[in-house]
Amino acid sequence: MLTLDLLINGLIIGVFYALMAIGLSLIFGILKVVNFAHGEFYMVGAYAYTLSALALGISPWVSLPFALLVGLLLGLVVERLLMRPLYSGYTSWGVMRDEYAVIVTFALSIFLINIVDKVVGPYAYKGPALIGISRITIGPLAISGHRLIAAMVAVTVIIVVALIIRYSFWGRQIQAVSQNRLGASLAGIDTAKASAIVFSLAGGLAAVSGALLANIFNPTPDVGVFPAIKSYVIVVLGGMGSVPGSIIASLILGVFESFGGVYISYQYRDTFGLFILILFLLFRPQGLFGEKAREV
Amino acid sequence: MPSRRFGLPTFVAGLFAFSASAFAADPIKVGVTIAQSPPGSVSQGTQVKDGLEVAAKIINDAGGVNGSKIELIYEDTQGIPEKARAAVEKLITRDQVVAVTGEHQSSAALAGIEVAHRYHVPYINTNGWSDVIREKGYPEVFNPGNYNSRVAIAVAETMKSLGAKNVVAFCENTDYGVGLAKLIGAQIAERAQGISYKYETLDRASKDYLPAILPLKANPPDVVVEIMLPPGAYILLNQLNEQGVAPTAKTMIYDASGIADYPDFWQNVGDAAKNMLVFGLYHPKMPLPDLGKKVAADYTAKTKGDPNRLLFQAADSLFLIAEAIKTAKSTKADDMIKALEGIKWTGTRGEVSFSSEKSGFKYHQWLDVPYVTFQVTAVKQPVADMKLVQDPGKPLDMSRVEKTK
Repeated sequence: MLTLDLLINGLIIGVFYALMAIGLSLIFGILKVVNFAHGEFYMVGAYAYTLSALALGISPWVSLPFALLVGLLLGLVVERLLMRPLYSGYTSWGVMRDEYAVIVTFALSIFLINIVDKVVGPYAYKGPALIGISRITIGPLAISGHRLIAAMVAVTVIIVVALIIRYSFWGRQIQAVSQNRLGASLAGIDTAKASAIVFSLAGGLAAVSGALLANIFNPTPDVGVFPAIKSYVIVVLGGMGSVPGSIIASLILGVFESFGGVYISYQYRDTFGLFILILFLLFRPQGLFGEKAREV
Repeated sequence: MPSRRFGLPTFVAGLFAFSASAFAADPIKVGVTIAQSPPGSVSQGTQVKDGLEVAAKIINDAGGVNGSKIELIYEDTQGIPEKARAAVEKLITRDQVVAVTGEHQSSAALAGIEVAHRYHVPYINTNGWSDVIREKGYPEVFNPGNYNSRVAIAVAETMKSLGAKNVVAFCENTDYGVGLAKLIGAQIAERAQGISYKYETLDRASKDYLPAILPLKANPPDVVVEIMLPPGAYILLNQLNEQGVAPTAKTMIYDASGIADYPDFWQNVGDAAKNMLVFGLYHPKMPLPDLGKKVAADYTAKTKGDPNRLLFQAADSLFLIAEAIKTAKSTKADDMIKALEGIKWTGTRGEVSFSSEKSGFKYHQWLDVPYVTFQVTAVKQPVADMKLVQDPGKPLDMSRVEKTK
């Protein structure tokens, strides 16, 4: 029975990892940069969900879309104010593209952690549960009601996002920009708009992930740091920029950490992802679904 | 001319007089290292800051120390050892503080004492429980707060009184957490043979503790001992409850970290802390000396909040520095250390004196730190209403302990 417990816990954690990692993967796919403030989008979502529910007394089912909205807006604002210079020519003034992205997103991360620390305070806040059933028992299995519902919401969001990217008008444009930014631009696609949509969507996904986990991981200002590190690992494992790769890598990592924590050592649980990452970099550097590429 | 000749010496004499009075009025600078931002325990940092400020106000309102006011200079360590080291270095070299105090996390204290020892500056550890802090044998370091060996003995005695056969501890991956978990094992082996004990180390930064909890479902222990600071401690309690491991009729929770008086405790744990036993360094029903009552009243007037253990520990830390300077009539390190070594002074929690036994954790430790055990008997219960099940200096009273049904 322990095996089943561990499998379910691993898959649920994997789904939350996926929600975080998809946004990061999309940003890399479109802009070819890593967003070091991605964990703070998660943190802002967790606080937006928790504080709106606690302070305003509204239902968590209203707070959840509110957190999504906050994440979408934050992503949009960050893209317009900080990321647009990446592809608007300003960086040719002497700053390298990669350097600019690292510096600006890293600074944003520190800024967001500190602003929340000063404005909201350093104390932890447990988010409200999505349902009032504290424990659902199925035979010998016990799982918290919130964890189960949150995982189902996360799966639904992932499916909806995957469908949007695959079949919608803007989703196809995002795919095109991801494949070849210049080519998409020549074909008449507004690449700046596609980038803004992706950044906003990534912010929204991370915020929803934070909101869904706010009841389990009691947010503090630095709550996003750890999930962000996991997301970076997942994005590389899945193949940089590959959404399906990120989803599968998330599930693998979640399950591996769950079993490894019991059968290898819990103390080294957070190093398992890094161990797999090293193996991949050695034997399959393009990741699960990435493409081999070489630039000269 | 005569007036000019008379004028210069008068001016110089006046300048000296002014300088002398200015020196007399110069504040005594005391360095404070606390966590004011994550990932350190900001809850603790805030409580320590409040305690130091209440004490400083009491001292300064009474005319200061030997005519000088106390000035507190804060540095944020974030609970990170490297930052604590840099903070103490800055306080000593740039701010020229006469002593350092306030530290409330063992890892940060262990880094800070190295610098204080190098510069030979008194370091009054407010709340670093790790025994290693005193085991270093640094003459500058004094500990009027709690210490891991004392908690370990209390835990072992409590497990014996509870009749536990199988005990599992979850500790955070810090000097404090792992150190205490090991000491509890040693004390159980010495005082309560027959109890099976093991501990699991959890990462403070990680949030999913289920892989460590799930194996307990098949064979739950009699007691789960929690050795973590918030928010990790809150998450652990919630996940134990979520899986039905504890609290149950079979399994009790024992909080060895004293988290039940944190201001964010109830918002974060809810019914996951039902019937939890708490190792407590302060309970409103504990007898307090007059100074303790004064500090408690001033704190409540200032913050509208209920007093907590760190308030008293922090206040005592600063009072001790003031007492040392007053007794020594000097702010020189050697004089202050000598004064502290011989001190017998009634603080906020009782009569403080420091052990001179040079080997092990007892060196410069106040050995008789008072403690109690109390039990959470209802959700959202204020500490004052939590049930005292062990009075200071007495064994656990099993007739008062409530079991989960």
